[in-house]
Amino acid sequence: MDIVYNGEWTWAASLGRLLIALAFAGGLASTIGYTRAVREGQGPWHAMGRWGFRIQAAGIFGASALVYLLIFSHRYEFEYVWKHLNDAMPFSYMLSSFWGGQEGGFLVWMCWILVLAIVFLRRNPGKLEAPVMAIHAGILTGLSSMLLGLWFGDFQFGLDPFLMLREAPQNAGLPWTLNPDYLSLIPQFADGQGLNPLLQNYWMVIHPPTLFLGFASTLMPFAMAVSGLWLVDHKTWMDRAISWAFFGVAILGAGILMGGAWAYEALSFGGFWAWDPVENSSLVPWLVLVAGAHLLLINKSKPGTAITATYLLVSLSFLLVVYSTFLTKSGILGDTSVHSFVDSGILPQLLGFLLGCCALFCTLLLAPGRDRILFGGLQAVMMVGIVVLDPALCVLGLIAVMLAAVLRAHLRHLPRTDKESPLWTREFWMFVGGMLMFASAVHITFQTSLPVLNHFLEPFSAGFERLHQATGSALARKLATHDLAPGTDFDATYHAIQVPLAFLFISITAFTQYLRYGRNPNRQVFFMPLRSLIAAAVLTVVFLLAYDFETWEAPRVALMLACLWSAASNADYIIQVLKGKWDHAGASIAHIGFAMVIFGAVLSNAKKDIVSQNRFGDLAMLNESLSNEEDLLLLEGDTVTMGAYYVMYRERRQEGIHAKFAVDYFNTLPAEYSAGDVVSNEGFVFQCAEDHTASPTFTDDLEDHWTFIPIPNDRQKRQAAPWSAGRPGEHAFTLEPRIQLNERMGNAPEPDTKRYWNRDLYTHIKWGRVSDPEADEDGWMGGRKHDLMRRDSLVIGRSILALDSISAVTMAEKPAQGLLDKDLAVAAHFRLTGNGPDTTFTALYIVRDSLLIPDMVTLEDRGIKVRIDGFRPTEATFETVIWENLSIRRDFIVMQAIVFPQINLLWLGCLIMTTGALMAVRQRRKNQRRRTPAQPSA
Amino acid sequence: MSRLNIVVILMVAVLLGALFSVFTTNSESVVFSRAFAEPGIEFKVSGTLDTDHPVLYDPLMDVAETRFHMQDKEGEVQEVILRKAKPTGLEQSESIDLYGKVVDGEFVATEMLMKCPSKYNEDSHSLAESTPEAG
Repeated sequence: MDIVYNGEWTWAASLGRLLIALAFAGGLASTIGYTRAVREGQGPWHAMGRWGFRIQAAGIFGASALVYLLIFSHRYEFEYVWKHLNDAMPFSYMLSSFWGGQEGGFLVWMCWILVLAIVFLRRNPGKLEAPVMAIHAGILTGLSSMLLGLWFGDFQFGLDPFLMLREAPQNAGLPWTLNPDYLSLIPQFADGQGLNPLLQNYWMVIHPPTLFLGFASTLMPFAMAVSGLWLVDHKTWMDRAISWAFFGVAILGAGILMGGAWAYEALSFGGFWAWDPVENSSLVPWLVLVAGAHLLLINKSKPGTAITATYLLVSLSFLLVVYSTFLTKSGILGDTSVHSFVDSGILPQLLGFLLGCCALFCTLLLAPGRDRILFGGLQAVMMVGIVVLDPALCVLGLIAVMLAAVLRAHLRHLPRTDKESPLWTREFWMFVGGMLMFASAVHITFQTSLPVLNHFLEPFSAGFERLHQATGSALARKLATHDLAPGTDFDATYHAIQVPLAFLFISITAFTQYLRYGRNPNRQVFFMPLRSLIAAAVLTVVFLLAYDFETWEAPRVALMLACLWSAASNADYIIQVLKGKWDHAGASIAHIGFAMVIFGAVLSNAKKDIVSQNRFGDLAMLNESLSNEEDLLLLEGDTVTMGAYYVMYRERRQEGIHAKFAVDYFNTLPAEYSAGDVVSNEGFVFQCAEDHTASPTFTDDLEDHWTFIPIPNDRQKRQAAPWSAGRPGEHAFTLEPRIQLNERMGNAPEPDTKRYWNRDLYTHIKWGRVSDPEADEDGWMGGRKHDLMRRDSLVIGRSILALDSISAVTMAEKPAQGLLDKDLAVAAHFRLTGNGPDTTFTALYIVRDSLLIPDMVTLEDRGIKVRIDGFRPTEATFETVIWENLSIRRDFIVMQAIVFPQINLLWLGCLIMTTGALMAVRQRRKNQRRRTPAQPSA
Repeated sequence: MSRLNIVVILMVAVLLGALFSVFTTNSESVVFSRAFAEPGIEFKVSGTLDTDHPVLYDPLMDVAETRFHMQDKEGEVQEVILRKAKPTGLEQSESIDLYGKVVDGEFVATEMLMKCPSKYNEDSHSLAESTPEAG
């Protein structure tokens, strides 16, 4: 018996699923049609391909539009809408809730692929249309299968963007799902869960779509490369693919750096790059794409160069995007990484898609006919084995077959140049640069994929264990336990390899533009990069002097030198060689931008300065072990020195889901001391002999202005303020680092940064109260335990509570205290100073008949209650409980502040790099149109 | 182009060297008993937060001391001292990697990595308890 639910848009669920099914079916038809059309040419198959594609596009665009309709209509019966939307979200976040989850991510990706394909179709693709569109249709079909949402028993095939909450497996069979009116009755459905507050940031509106466009743009060069293999024509596609590849370089690069900017602005790990699997797996395709795009460039001027490498790099760029999807969306990194990744249940599908694409590519690399059948068959066998036999072993086997196929294709089928060019040619050095970037990509991929590698090591675990027993090798034991993970020290794990590689390939960008294709350059060409090198060396020395670099940082300094050289050299090139013809300067501008990005990244991270150092521990209980120099305790209203400023934590206020902490910054002026002032420095007490302005260090003033007081009396000890060289001047600015109140994820601190042109002051909260503490109706907060010895002192509110002395209560004193003769009592004499008159009081530790008698001392006007709960005679320590009243309580925060030098070079460089790459694309398109006016390419 | 081949081979050699170094430098985690058996030596201990004991952080006392109890992979629970301000999200963490050594009978950690519930995590509130409002 089917229940009819009231108020649901059940039609939307059906329509949505239909649209996706249409897309899938249309895609299949299109793939088949275009595949046949490769051989048959224009005809019914070609038409089938076109029509299938139209249906596929309509299905995907339609489904996307439908999801937006559901979002803007707040249809919370749909799980996707409920999870990522709520009524409170403003328009821009409603837009971005579309890509709040994996389903939306796939749709955005597919929409961009469709857009790019349509652009391709409108540009007279000629004979490339059939193979390229066949690939597109096939890939899109595979991707749309990720959204089919079908269930075969327990096996999930695809996610379902149109799943209703009542249909979700975790809700199946619950009582409310059988109630036809659940939508209006249950309060949870009146509003959605909303986008994770961590994602509610303007970057969420622009970063994911840009990134997905970048990912989508790797498909076109891949499709063209596969077309080249398919048609066994290695030249045509390379010409056409260059613009697409560099477009991808521009957009994907911008998208990745946007992610970095987001992390820097909104997250509090104090940086913009964390070598996190999500970051790495989008950086790697970009590196490979850059390398591949440059190899395409070589082939434009010198056809037939490094054909295998060109095919591999261009295709790997797309395959690595699919791998990235697999890594981050399948949950395979789950247990073995300190970052959690979602397991949405489609791991087998993603793996199948990934391996299928790779297998297809490797098969087509080979010569048509026997080779393809043989290797294709072997791969198919391996893939079956993954399903029915051991997955890890068979994936390994599959990879082995694919490698063998690549090798065979390189040796037997793909053309190789026999002639060797001279050493100082453009093509040779571009090739070397490409290989270096590829090496960089492989290293990053390897580190990121260690958890995946663990799966492969599992079957051999026993074997490694035996090896370890036999040889005692630590390496063998590590492999046996198969829980490898990237090291946590970035310098050792990543920078050690990446910095030298980057040094090499950035240096190559410095001089290669001066080289020619095919022949050695003239003598005078050596001078131009040389003078840039000298200029760069001079600048490097300037930076070396400005910042402290240690010997072990030599590789970084070399990298910075290379970046400066590249920027200078490319600028020189624009001025001298291009003579200011900006149209052709795209590449040089892009290189300058990239050099700036790397330079900014290296300098701002290597020389970041943590200016918040805790000085407050003097007054609190000192802990003898290592003190932490990173975080600053700020009591409300206290002005404390920090770096070049004086800071004061003024107040906390609530704004929406944020608790904002206002911290005022004051300029520092030199301190003024008058005769008679008493200060303490390094534990000694001094008195000022005459009025003076403080010098930067105490010892500069010591002889002339200060009198040493070796044994200060009590008054002097109390008056002695810590000496400081500066005092707060006028108010400079206010920063409001905040804590985002996030019930789902736990509260998340967000930084507030003061930006100057040449540095950033980045501050964030390490600890702060987001709400008033709990107190009873009189305002007394919960008691805190303290162990106090004689002379110990604590900060309570704005006062200092010190335990002056301990005495035994004599017989004579007992009656006055209300004690019986048989009681044993020890008195603790306290002194309360600051924020009121000096007050002394006594609390007692009383034992009567072996029982502790509680003695609570209350100082109402000072807002303090003290009770002694215990006494340890051997250590002369009282175990006390102290209550503070809200009236005297001082709020405080723990804050960390970092100065990042020259970090704006990074963002500026990103803009310049993207602009340069897009300029180059535009120039190339202009050239293409001029050469082949209004006729389809051959 | 044999020169290109040389370049490729060199690159592969460099890479293999780099990858091999990955295997030999990555730290493996140990259990508390090992760390306590060799005081003064720095180890990585992996485990989970023991919620039976509270997380103690009193910035007024010491800005850089957080105390909590952790259970290692063998189930042993020990109190640890982290020489940092209380990391955000410690109570929600799913697993912890601590880097430190045993000093004076206590495990003092200088660095900590946590695995938090993912920001990409899509766990929604359970609707199992949903009931229609009366009336």
